[in-house]
Amino acid sequence: MSKVPDGRIRLTILGGYLGSGKTTWLRHQLHEKRFGRVHVIVNEAAEIPVDDALLGAADGLTVLAGGCVCCAAQDSLRRTLRQLCDDRSKISDPSSRIARIVLETSGLADPAAIATMIQTDPMLVRQIVIAQIIVAADALHIIAQLRHERLGRAQIEAADDIVLTKTDAARHDDLSRLVATLRSLNPGATLTATAFGSQVALPPPAPDVPPLPVPDLSGADPRPIIPCRLDLGAVPDWTAFTVWLSALLHVHGVRIMRVKGVVVTPAGRLLLQTVRKTVQSPEVLPDRATATDTDNQIVLIGRGLHPPDLRQSLCHFTTSP
Amino acid sequence: MCASCGFPAAPGHWTEAGAATAPDRIRERFRRAQILRRVLKGTGLTVHDGGLVPGIQLSTLTGAQTIVPHLEQLWIEAERMTGTPFDPLDPKFLTSDV
Repeated sequence: MSKVPDGRIRLTILGGYLGSGKTTWLRHQLHEKRFGRVHVIVNEAAEIPVDDALLGAADGLTVLAGGCVCCAAQDSLRRTLRQLCDDRSKISDPSSRIARIVLETSGLADPAAIATMIQTDPMLVRQIVIAQIIVAADALHIIAQLRHERLGRAQIEAADDIVLTKTDAARHDDLSRLVATLRSLNPGATLTATAFGSQVALPPPAPDVPPLPVPDLSGADPRPIIPCRLDLGAVPDWTAFTVWLSALLHVHGVRIMRVKGVVVTPAGRLLLQTVRKTVQSPEVLPDRATATDTDNQIVLIGRGLHPPDLRQSLCHFTTSP
Repeated sequence: MCASCGFPAAPGHWTEAGAATAPDRIRERFRRAQILRRVLKGTGLTVHDGGLVPGIQLSTLTGAQTIVPHLEQLWIEAERMTGTPFDPLDPKFLTSDV
């Protein structure tokens, strides 16, 4: 079987709290053609859409107004995505097909709920792969949201990339504290800073700046979020690893926010990623002549993980007696 | 998709992505059953996968049996049949003697 990348559409989910600067950022990215041929879906929880007027640079634009697509209006998102896949499959020339969909969620959406919806839809799961979850964080208000809103926290924790917006209006030492806080909440995400949508330099990392204390909102789990790197060895045993990981996610899936990594198998280099308990069908990456340092390394990010225990437990599954 | 049983409903479960050819796939199914039998020792559950029918057969000491389509469902069923979830972070897996 050929090891070519699959033909699924790449979906970027752009999240972030109400007024966190999602549209401004997206508008700038579209202007700079960061996403290539792209169809943009904008969701507004309110009845009257306003954002669509700002996003003229996209190749296609759908506005879903009147309900948040992660919960109340999930069906309309499902219909829209199915329609897009359908239209795309009618175009025979691959170069004129759209390659990417950017979904700008409403400020009230939980990106993980959308990922779960796509994984459980029998048609969409074959057509769409979630490439990235980008979350915009307002440098002025994010701390208040992290303190008081469970949703704001869930959004930050689900992110692959956190984009700090409105950094021009924040004070420099506030900003370095904010960076430390976000890094402690989601150690795996990349952080970039922007002002008016264009990228600016982050304040240099200051190791002596402590993260702001953020009260626990989940009630039950005050343990810190810890990233844990697992080395699967030069020749990973995919079957044993997935037996272990599926059992682990079954019991501890609630506190493991993310699993991410590239595993080399006879079927190709597989990009494995999860958002909470939802696991995507792995994407086959192009082959490399030589293995890179990051191949066969899996990163787990979760509350109260104990890396030596995880390694020991995995060892029991992968070593045959 | 098989018209009589509906498997597989999705494009192969993520846990089965490591094998691309038919011989690889069947070999990995046998190995998966082997690994499961080994780690489930002591729970009263046994696993059988003869490679003929889709799915993994799971049975208890008292004779209760079920067929699950993939590993994710297997752990749900295992919890239902034994009354306790199977936890890979159980102390018995945390000792260094393999």
